[in-house]
Amino acid sequence: MTSPSITASGAKARASSSLGFPLILLICVVSSAVLYFGLSQLDSSYAFLAAYTVLQFVALATAWNILGGYAGYVNFGVAAFFATGVYTSVIIYKTVQWPLLVTIPVAAAAAGLLGLGMGYLTLRLRGVFFSIATLALAVVLNTIVVNWSFVGGSRGVYVMRPQEIILFSSYERYLFVVMLVLAIGSVLIARTIENSWLGRGLAALKDDEMAAECAGVPSLRMKLIATTISGALLGAAGAPFPFFVTYVDPPTAFSLSIAVNAIAMPLIGGTATWLGPVIGALLLGTFQQIATVTISSALNLLIVGVVLVIFITVAPNGIIGFVKDLREKRR
Amino acid sequence: MTKLTRRQTLALAGSAVATLATPALAQTSPIKIGFGMALTGGLAGGGKAALLAYQIWAEEVNARGGLLGRKVELVNYDDQSNPATVPAIYTKLLDIDKVDLVVSGYATVPTAAAMPVVMQKGKVFLSLFALAANDQFRYDRYFQMQPNGPEAKFEFSRGYFNLAQNLNPKPKTVALVGADAEFGVLALEGARENAKKAGIKIVYDRSYPPNTMDFGSIVRAIKATKPDLLFIGSYPPDSAGMIRAIHEVGLDATMVGGGMIGLQFAALKQQLGPLLNNVVCYDLYTPEPTMNFPGVVEFLKKYQERAEKAGVDPLGLYIPPFAYAEMQILEAAVNGVKSLDDKKLADYIRANSFSTVVGDIKFGDRGEWAKPRILLIQYRGIVGNDVEQFKQAGKQVIIDPPQFKSGDLVVPFESVKR
Repeated sequence: MTSPSITASGAKARASSSLGFPLILLICVVSSAVLYFGLSQLDSSYAFLAAYTVLQFVALATAWNILGGYAGYVNFGVAAFFATGVYTSVIIYKTVQWPLLVTIPVAAAAAGLLGLGMGYLTLRLRGVFFSIATLALAVVLNTIVVNWSFVGGSRGVYVMRPQEIILFSSYERYLFVVMLVLAIGSVLIARTIENSWLGRGLAALKDDEMAAECAGVPSLRMKLIATTISGALLGAAGAPFPFFVTYVDPPTAFSLSIAVNAIAMPLIGGTATWLGPVIGALLLGTFQQIATVTISSALNLLIVGVVLVIFITVAPNGIIGFVKDLREKRR
Repeated sequence: MTKLTRRQTLALAGSAVATLATPALAQTSPIKIGFGMALTGGLAGGGKAALLAYQIWAEEVNARGGLLGRKVELVNYDDQSNPATVPAIYTKLLDIDKVDLVVSGYATVPTAAAMPVVMQKGKVFLSLFALAANDQFRYDRYFQMQPNGPEAKFEFSRGYFNLAQNLNPKPKTVALVGADAEFGVLALEGARENAKKAGIKIVYDRSYPPNTMDFGSIVRAIKATKPDLLFIGSYPPDSAGMIRAIHEVGLDATMVGGGMIGLQFAALKQQLGPLLNNVVCYDLYTPEPTMNFPGVVEFLKKYQERAEKAGVDPLGLYIPPFAYAEMQILEAAVNGVKSLDDKKLADYIRANSFSTVVGDIKFGDRGEWAKPRILLIQYRGIVGNDVEQFKQAGKQVIIDPPQFKSGDLVVPFESVKR
C-alpha cells in the first residue's frame, strides 16, 4: 500500500529529528542556565515568580496544543486537568507529604488517567460536541472538589511551603526551576510527537478523520494517546501551583483565565507546530505580567480576547503561519 | 526554517528577560506603602472602596507633613481578584519598587497568597478582612482589621442566638441555611454550636451551591418545617435572592437573617429597600449614636463626597472605615517607634491599643482583634429605595452587643403581605 517514496521521506524526517534532538536539548540546557543566572543577577524573587507564571503558560499552552492543535480536538476542560494536578498535589501534601518532585509525576499520572478516561467517554464525539463534553468535565470536577471537604471543599486549603530547600537559596527559585524543566519537557515531548508517526497520524485526523480511518490510521488509539499525554502535561503544570499561591480554592484552581490563556496562546502563536504555543505563551504571558504591574487592571483577559479576535481574522494560522505566508509571498 | 525559529525563540526569551530586568528607579524620599488590591474581578467592589479610603488617609497625612517628616506614597497594583497574581505583585513591590511597608489587599484569598512573600521578608503585615488567614501561618507580625476576634465562626451568630434565647416566649426551633462556600460553611458551623448552646432545636440544616439563582424552592422547604428562627449564611447575590424569596413565599418567623454578606453594601440596601424591614444581620459599623467614634463622621463625609466620582459604594459603611483605621494604626505605630523597622513596628502594634475611626483596637492571638466586635443590627423603618436614608441613625439599629446597643430587637419578622 505505502509507496517507496513516502517511506523514504518518513525515514528522512525521522533521521533529521533524531539528529536534531541532542542539539535541541543542548540549546534548552544552555538557554535555561543563561535564563537562571540572568534572573539571579537581578537579585529579586519577583523576576523568578513572574517568569514562573510565563513558563506555566508555556507548559499549559504546549500541553493543550497536543490535542487541540495537532489533532484539532478543542479541549475546553484545561482547568479540569490543571486542577487535577493542583488537587493531587494538595492530597499528597495533606497525607504523605512527598516532596514536590515526587508529587509532579503522580499528578501527571492522575491527570493522564483522567485524560484517558475522558478520551474513552468522549472521543466518539466529534467537533463541537467533544468540546462541550470537555467543558462539562470541568464543571463535574469543580462540583466534586467543592463538596469534598478533605481537600478544603469550597473553603479552600492552605499549603505551607517547606522551610528550606536543598541547593536553592529560596523557594521561588526552586519553583522557577521546576516550572522551567516542566515547560522544556512539555515542549520536547510536543516536538517529538510532532515529528513522529503519532504527530502525522493526528494531522491526518485533523484534516479528515473519515479519510484517515479509511487509510488505516488507528484514530481512536491515537486520540487516546494524545488526550492522555496532553492531560498528563496539563496536570504536571498544575502540581507546583499550590506551593506557588499557598492557598487554593476551587475558583482559583478552576480559573477561567487558565483555560482561556491555554487555548488563546497556541491559537495566537500557531497550532500547527510545537513552536507556536511557545511563542504565543511567551508573548502573551510576558505581556500580561507587564500589564499587571503597569496599566494595572484586568485589561489582561480583555487583551487576550482582542488579540485572539485580531489573529483569528488576520492570521488564522497564528504568528508562525503568518510569518510562513510572508516568506512564501516574498519567494 | 527550524534554525530561524530557534533563534526567534531565544530572541523572545531574551526580550522577556530584558523586560523583567528593568529596575524601577530607586527613590528614597517618600515613604512607600505597597499593596495589591482587587480593582477588577469579583472583589473589586470592596477593593476599590478600600483604595479610596487609603488614598484619603494618604492625602490627609501628607497635608499634616507626612510620616516621620517624609511624604507618603501609595504603590498599588490590581490583583484582578486572582490570587495567582499576588505573589509576583508583592515580590515586585518589595524587590523592585522597594516599598517601605506593605499592607494586604481586600479579602482572604489575596491576603493568604501574599503571606509567604511577606513572611520571607519579615515585613509587618496589616490585613483587611481576611478570615482566619493566619491560623496556619502563625506569623507574629500579622494583624487583621475585621473585628472577628480569635474564634471568628462563632461570632457571626453569637448575638443572634443570645437575643433569641432571651425572647419571651423562647423560640424552640431554628432553620439554618447557607451558601456552600467559605463564609457560608463557617457561619453555619458556628450557628450550629450556638443553637445547641442556646437549647434551640435545628429543624432544617442545608447549604446550597454558590451559584444558586432561584431561592423559592429552598424557602418553601424551610417554610414547611415551620421554624421559629431562620439563620442565613449567604453571599451578596444570594442574600438578595433569599430575602426576595422569603417575601414571595410568605415566610414568617420570629427572627430572620443573621450572617448575610452583602446587606452591608449600598447596592443591596438600595435594591431591597423596605423588604429589609425587621431583617437582622451582622454588621461592622452603622451610623448609630453608639458608634460615634472620633473622626468617623468626618471620614465618611469625605468618602461619600468622592465615592460617586470614584465609582465605589456610595455609603462606604462596611470596608472603608476599617481600611482607614488600618492606616491610622500604621501611622500611630510608625510615629510611636519613630522608625520603619518591621520588628519594632510589630512589637509596638502587638503591645498597644489604638484609637481609630472604628473605635479602640487591640490585637491579640494570631493578630486578630483581642475582643471580637461583630454587631447584630436590625433594619427598621426603611421606606422606598432611597440610599440616603441609610446615612441616618435609626434605620440600622444595633441590637447586640450591649455596649453598642442603640435599640431593642423587634419581633416577629413578617413578610410583605400581598
